[in-house]
Amino acid sequence: MIDYRARFRSNLLIASCGLAVFAVVPLVANSGLMFLAGLVAINVVFGLSWNLLFSGAGLLSFGHAMFFGGGAYAMAVVSLRLPELPFLVGLAVGAGCGALIALIFGFIALRRASGVYFAVLTLAFSELVHILITKTTFLGRNDGLVGVPRPEIDLGLFRLDLTSATAYYYFIIVAMAAAAFALWCFQNSPAGRLIQAIKQDSVRTAFLGTSVFAWQLTAFVLSGAIAAFCGAVMVPFTQIASPEIAYWTVSTQPILFTLLGGAGNFWGPAVGAILFGAIDYGTRAMHGLSEITVGTLLLVVVLVIPGGLLGFVRHRRKKTRGTAKASTAEDTGARP
Amino acid sequence: MYDIGMTVFNGLAWAMATFLVAAGLTLIFGILHILNFAHGGFFMIGAYVSYSIMMAFGGSLPLWLYLVGAMASGIVVGLLGWAVDKLVFRRLRDVEDAYSLIATYALLLVCGGAVQLTWGLNYMGVMPPAALNTVVFVGDMFMPTFTIFIILSGIVAYIGLEFFISKTRTGRLIRVVAADPWMAQLLGLNVKKIYLITVIFSFAMAGAAGGLLMPNQSLSPELGGIFLLQAFGVVILGGMGSIRGAFYAALLLGLIESFGTYFFPQYPGIFFLLALAVILLLKPEGIMGKGQTA
Repeated sequence: MIDYRARFRSNLLIASCGLAVFAVVPLVANSGLMFLAGLVAINVVFGLSWNLLFSGAGLLSFGHAMFFGGGAYAMAVVSLRLPELPFLVGLAVGAGCGALIALIFGFIALRRASGVYFAVLTLAFSELVHILITKTTFLGRNDGLVGVPRPEIDLGLFRLDLTSATAYYYFIIVAMAAAAFALWCFQNSPAGRLIQAIKQDSVRTAFLGTSVFAWQLTAFVLSGAIAAFCGAVMVPFTQIASPEIAYWTVSTQPILFTLLGGAGNFWGPAVGAILFGAIDYGTRAMHGLSEITVGTLLLVVVLVIPGGLLGFVRHRRKKTRGTAKASTAEDTGARP
Repeated sequence: MYDIGMTVFNGLAWAMATFLVAAGLTLIFGILHILNFAHGGFFMIGAYVSYSIMMAFGGSLPLWLYLVGAMASGIVVGLLGWAVDKLVFRRLRDVEDAYSLIATYALLLVCGGAVQLTWGLNYMGVMPPAALNTVVFVGDMFMPTFTIFIILSGIVAYIGLEFFISKTRTGRLIRVVAADPWMAQLLGLNVKKIYLITVIFSFAMAGAAGGLLMPNQSLSPELGGIFLLQAFGVVILGGMGSIRGAFYAALLLGLIESFGTYFFPQYPGIFFLLALAVILLLKPEGIMGKGQTA
């Protein structure tokens, strides 16, 4: 029996430490680094949303860029074309847009496809969305939508001015913390555990009277909505929505974060996103070096330490403590 | 009449260029059950190697050099395949599908990075060799000789592969291992060696395809991804592992794409994706039924 209260407390502690680090960044670093940290914070939740599908539901999506891009474009359209709508409505529209895309394509892809087929179908759908964006004049074609303003939020009692990059950075941290909390709650709710059961044995779960399709679709829609929310939050920060954010290489980003950090752990994608940001920053002077570093690291992770960085650390710690518990099954996490 | 002829011609060009890339991809899938993301990367390396060979000979591209360059790319990339099999693929046999897919994506990243480090980020382009840089008129249709050459290469590659797989000893051994590796091992076949041969052969095809398709492409580190997606579509639709299936799927998707683009010229590149999604929904196992290497 797992003690959920203790688990909640330890996760809260981890999350608070992470939040504290992110909150300190603008005080100690220059604006360039703060910008990077903001993007990393968004990537953290983007990775978490992908891992909800992968480790949570056992679905390998290669098309998360369509949600991220969809949310980003929805936000950009709302704030440029319908500026009278409040900012928070724009965010909701962005997340809803991702949920809708996920509902449509998930309905098609989950009906028939599984495993590698599912991965390639999501890849094809996301490329479809990308091409449609580059061909639609309303969405700015290849140039994208530029000059998205940062908002002022009217909260009735007082106004929250987010027009400066630093103020918006803090908004990102709060929004991402909320999204991560929502994801954690879902994964540890009865529904989250049911989806986990489907992943482990879909036939047996179906025998118990569960609709496998409906629950997988639910996970897909939730994951899409959160990924789109990340895209929507990012757009006022970078102030541009360009077609590259819907390109298929963006779909592979959360995969990299998750696998590097460790798919078996809820915070794996977070660790991976931060590591990835550091590698990208450290190798920015030389084109190609970051791809080689990340690619090699990823290969090592898949071939040698499938539990990712966190799995490796936990494994080492157990070893040095000398506990006789068989830890491998837990460490390799998503690999049965 | 003119329009239909040209549209079919363009469809064939799309189909055969894609088949050249997809052939090696489907072969590896048939044997190793790995959907190899890195195939696009090694295709791209083949194109760049061929480009460098051409540059070393002064920049102009006579026909013989073009063909030798493509062969040399095939050999170089085949050797890389040997290394990849030893270092990576051999270890992926007991790994879950999702993880091996991600591992090949990691390889694609490494390929892209290596290309950027070696050849830089700039776009580079090459004209087709002079002998193939002409136009043939059929009625009032004009057909670039280079495109005709690519179409013929695709057909020759298909016939050659069919012959290789069904008539030669090595080809038959590959089919045996594809059908039942465990039983093949019991019968005393060196399964590992067959795996290795398949991987080298598939990579060599990727490299040669890169060399053949290099002219008229803008060489850039994104080249790998463009052909990869089309080839994925063809391989999946053809029933993973089936060379014949890949050939027909390439023809089908190529014609759909070119007719779609003819009627809706503002949306190129979208119709094969739509067709892929629709066909897979109706027939998830692909157009040729359950995948078998043949």
